Amino acid sequence: MNAEDGDQASRTAIGISFGNSYSSIAYTVDEKAEVIANEEGDRQIPSILSYVSGEEFQGTQAKAQIIRNPRNTIAYFRDFLGKSFKEIDPTPCHASAHPVEIDGGKSVGFTVQETEEGEKSTLSVSEVTTRHLRRLRQSASDYLGKDVVATVITIPSDFSDSQKSALTAAAKAAGLDVLQFIPEPISSLLAHDAKQQLSESSSGAPKDKTVVVADLGGTRSDISVVASRGGIYSTLATVHDYELGGSSLDQVLIEYAAKEFMKKNKNATDPKSNARSLAKLTIEAENVKKALSIGQTAAFSIESLSDGIDFSLTVNRTRFELLANKVVASFGRLIQSAVQKAGLDVLDIDTVLLAGGSSHIPKLSSSMQSIFPESTAVVAPAASASAVNPSELVSRGAAIQASLISEFEHSDIEGSTEAVVTVTPHLQKALGLASGKDGEQFSLIINADTPVPVRRTAQVSVADGGDVLLRIAEGEREIKVTKEEKPQTNGAKGEDDSDDDSDDEPEEVREKVWKAGKVLAEAGIKGVKKGGKVEIQINVNTDLSVTVVAREVGGKGGVRGELEATKA
Amino acid sequence: PSLPDGWSAEKDFKPMGSLSQPTSRAIEPVGPHFLAHARRKRHKRTFSEDERI
Repeated sequence: MNAEDGDQASRTAIGISFGNSYSSIAYTVDEKAEVIANEEGDRQIPSILSYVSGEEFQGTQAKAQIIRNPRNTIAYFRDFLGKSFKEIDPTPCHASAHPVEIDGGKSVGFTVQETEEGEKSTLSVSEVTTRHLRRLRQSASDYLGKDVVATVITIPSDFSDSQKSALTAAAKAAGLDVLQFIPEPISSLLAHDAKQQLSESSSGAPKDKTVVVADLGGTRSDISVVASRGGIYSTLATVHDYELGGSSLDQVLIEYAAKEFMKKNKNATDPKSNARSLAKLTIEAENVKKALSIGQTAAFSIESLSDGIDFSLTVNRTRFELLANKVVASFGRLIQSAVQKAGLDVLDIDTVLLAGGSSHIPKLSSSMQSIFPESTAVVAPAASASAVNPSELVSRGAAIQASLISEFEHSDIEGSTEAVVTVTPHLQKALGLASGKDGEQFSLIINADTPVPVRRTAQVSVADGGDVLLRIAEGEREIKVTKEEKPQTNGAKGEDDSDDDSDDEPEEVREKVWKAGKVLAEAGIKGVKKGGKVEIQINVNTDLSVTVVAREVGGKGGVRGELEATKA
Repeated sequence: PSLPDGWSAEKDFKPMGSLSQPTSRAIEPVGPHFLAHARRKRHKRTFSEDERI
């Protein structure tokens, strides 16, 4: 049989989401991305390695070792890759193996008892990463029954070049060829759009929209504001918070549980003061938090928490939401600051896509819904039925990208990612039609921040028929604030109404309005039928010249004109 | 809006200005639509040329 002869070039490529807290692996079947579970059945695989009497454990098994064997357990190492010892923040590693200086402080390592007896060994972060990626690759290869050799890995949007090259090297040592690094928020958005595309079974490009992708992770949160235009993504702004994440919410539960424990057991030692008790609390708090995202109540139960006393406590969701209020509010502020950084208003945002493990929390999506206007779609499992599991978004996006480019040569990928990306001009202002009496009103055809070249078509219905003037203009978005008078309550000043008087201030109504700016061209269409429609197509070319084609729907001929390119 | 009286232009099209200066930004090299864009750019094709193939 020589069927295999011709197909040597095709590689098995997977998507890997490599996080500080969790990693996951995904691949595509029939254009649909699937997240692969490892041999333990986990789709979210803890990024943790542990050494117990000469044996290596990873994932959930290693996580359990944080309690009994913390110093030989390595966790939260992703962000240390490619950094010097001075640059890192070792706080998350407090409960496990502490990072140490190696290479004279140029990089970071961990000292663990790797073998059953003898000297402790110091593993560099790259070595740890290699071992972790090797295991991920093994799990994917076992599942797929094919040797996985290539991958697309997601990275935070602020990963430096030295971090990227360190990750490339670590992946190579693990037998993985990195086809491309893609930013986590863009990966999530790709996965979301792909899902949307499948469910709507539309063949065209996704609608133009401005999206906030909030990647709420374990130990950090990253927010990106992305302009999605015809399925092409441009990042407008990013913000990062390296302290806010799911672990901040765990902390809230830890504090609460510890307080309750001390109340019940007056003479016991504070479980937070003992490393092992604290580790037990930390792991249980995360489990309780996850359970509260699904159910209304969850129970802490820890055997021998402190001084040999067992502990059990039931927490309901309302209680947790009250405790978590502050942290949730900080998530809200972080997201608003990103929108501000992009020079936008919350009214400009069409979609808020919540990604990352913490996005499962129902309270978070409801608080997003209250920050953004009703027109904004909040995509999270608690807020929309079609949402993809937020823990899986990142790895799914990577898998989709991996399947798209697995056939390409390295040089092709590099060529496409360098020259092409950086040189794309984006429209500064929106383009559309000016209408109304004094040409003040504006209907949008091409939104601002759209990369060129671009082509968009719009239809204008002409109820009265006759000759029509199309005025192509640039448009500007303004936020109109109107004070709305509260409707006066009819006379009767009831005694029990007195509470309402406190918020008697007129409510501010903010809305987005388009104003026509500079007129670029006028086109006349003559003799349109009554109730007919006029189709207008605007082409912005790479050199920023504009071609306009307008004609009556179903009619012949039409008007065609061209605008000269902008002079630099 | 209807055509005002006495409006006329060569071939019924009157250019009046050009676009404002664009902002230069990087687009993300991800997704099928980007790959299509990259393909057009590398072969220096326009939309309609790309569709014909």
